[in-house]
Amino acid sequence: MTPVEVDRAVRPSLAWFVRVLFAFARREARTLAGYRVAFLVRGMAFGLSVLALAFMARLIGASSNTHLAPYGGDYLAFAVVGFVVMDFQQVGVSNLSLRVRAAQVQGFLEAEMATPAPAWIVLGVGPVYEFGLAVLRATLYVSLAILVFGVRFPHARLISVVVGAPLVMSAFVGLGLLSAALTMLVRRTNPVAALLGSASLLLSGVAYPVSVLPEWLRLVGRLLPLTHALELVRGSLLRGASLSELWPSIAILAGFAGILVPAGVALFVFALRRARMDGSLGHY
Amino acid sequence: MRDPGEPGAGPRPAGRSGAVETPHAVDVGIDPAVVDPSQDLAAIAVTALGKTFRPPAGIRELLRGRLTRAPVSALADISFRVDPGEIVCVMGPNGAGKSTLLRILSGLLSPSTGQARVAGLDVESHGWDFRRRVAFVVGDERSFHWPLSGLHNLEFFGALHGYTPREAGRRARQLLGRVGLAEVADRPFHTYSRGMRQRLALARGLLGAPDVILLDEPTLGLDPLGARDLRNFLRDEVIRGAGRTALVGTNDPGEAKSLSDRILLLDHGRLVCETVPGRLDAELGL
Repeated sequence: MTPVEVDRAVRPSLAWFVRVLFAFARREARTLAGYRVAFLVRGMAFGLSVLALAFMARLIGASSNTHLAPYGGDYLAFAVVGFVVMDFQQVGVSNLSLRVRAAQVQGFLEAEMATPAPAWIVLGVGPVYEFGLAVLRATLYVSLAILVFGVRFPHARLISVVVGAPLVMSAFVGLGLLSAALTMLVRRTNPVAALLGSASLLLSGVAYPVSVLPEWLRLVGRLLPLTHALELVRGSLLRGASLSELWPSIAILAGFAGILVPAGVALFVFALRRARMDGSLGHY
Repeated sequence: MRDPGEPGAGPRPAGRSGAVETPHAVDVGIDPAVVDPSQDLAAIAVTALGKTFRPPAGIRELLRGRLTRAPVSALADISFRVDPGEIVCVMGPNGAGKSTLLRILSGLLSPSTGQARVAGLDVESHGWDFRRRVAFVVGDERSFHWPLSGLHNLEFFGALHGYTPREAGRRARQLLGRVGLAEVADRPFHTYSRGMRQRLALARGLLGAPDVILLDEPTLGLDPLGARDLRNFLRDEVIRGAGRTALVGTNDPGEAKSLSDRILLLDHGRLVCETVPGRLDAELGL
């Protein structure tokens, strides 16, 4: 039989990462194609959540709320921005962790780690793919709000969002690396992501302005990256704040990113080394 | 390059050090003082390898301030070498340490002590080049995506080998044809029989261009005829036909005899004996 092996001296590169990312996306699409009903139900749930927000906006908008005044007074615009940014946090914080856990439980992490692809490619494509989906969801969410419910962003200054987005993402990814490292170490879905999600919903001003919170809770909320991310994005989109006005939020997010990313990388590398020591890459 | 340790040729000295093999001898390996592993041209060179697991502590241990339970020794002081082109089986009962040894040699598990080099590279390098040259055939059914076809599964792993989509598709089809799965390439993995799954795992292991193949119980769960066919295919086409070296973990004496040039017997994590297929029954007292 004619040998068919091809000597592929491929070196780790961004191109390799992109190839795996597309292969990952194709695999997910093919898997989803087998679960059409579940896909439709998820789509319906997404639409219904926007509808629910619209009715809440009708209720709150009618009462000319003073807490919303600094954000232009439109509750739907306020809430849409809040939930979109929180979605990015959930993806950043929980996706890598969930992928590590799913790969351990389903058993494909060891098989993928046995291929020539470096660990940063094997483990990095999932979160990047999910961030892509989050961008798609955000686009749909905002489009629905604008086209169906008449939301407007008349003062939007996108430059602040563009400058702040990498910092926001970095802070979320740093938290995600910490969460994934914990998952790898304890071999359980760790509660950090769920706890952070609940705390953020309560304290960061996702669904209501933080001005409604008591002072001490507001102070606790300032320890969460999402609080500052929301200040930055809402300031840019709803208030039309300039970069200089948003500088405090940008500086704090840079601080979060500067601490969380190196800490997350260090703990994740330690957890990976530990998994290689105790043989838990494919165990659960 | 290879010693004349052909089937039926009788026991041979273990390794290059010339240590004489005796049944149930504890140390049949190479002397680390004699051979510098980094200069060894063996396809696989293992020196004084050991592995101790430290299971995570339960609540009781944690309350006593201990982070781990009592260590469990899975491998101790293992030394051997495999020449290029050789097929060597690692035999032993369940829990003997075969899978642990194979996973260390594949780079998925770090050794606690000793050294191991495969295809000239340190197993601790964890590098992409190591994993390109050393294929560990992961037979675990859970490692495939069950709703996807065999072809689509291989295409995904092809991307992890660095292939472009077109290359991955072409390579996947070639390999599916080679392992006899061309007819069922588009069927979902969950409809595959046990034998088909094993063959798909083998195809996945061949996606790169490995010099050394590590297989853990490749015919586990197959019926006798299916197992025989797969063994012949492995030996004649995948390993010998392509000039590769292979280390195969098994607890089936028939498999060890029909596949290998040499057999290493493991028991309780120790290498107790090295023999050739013609003498295996005698060594096992069969």
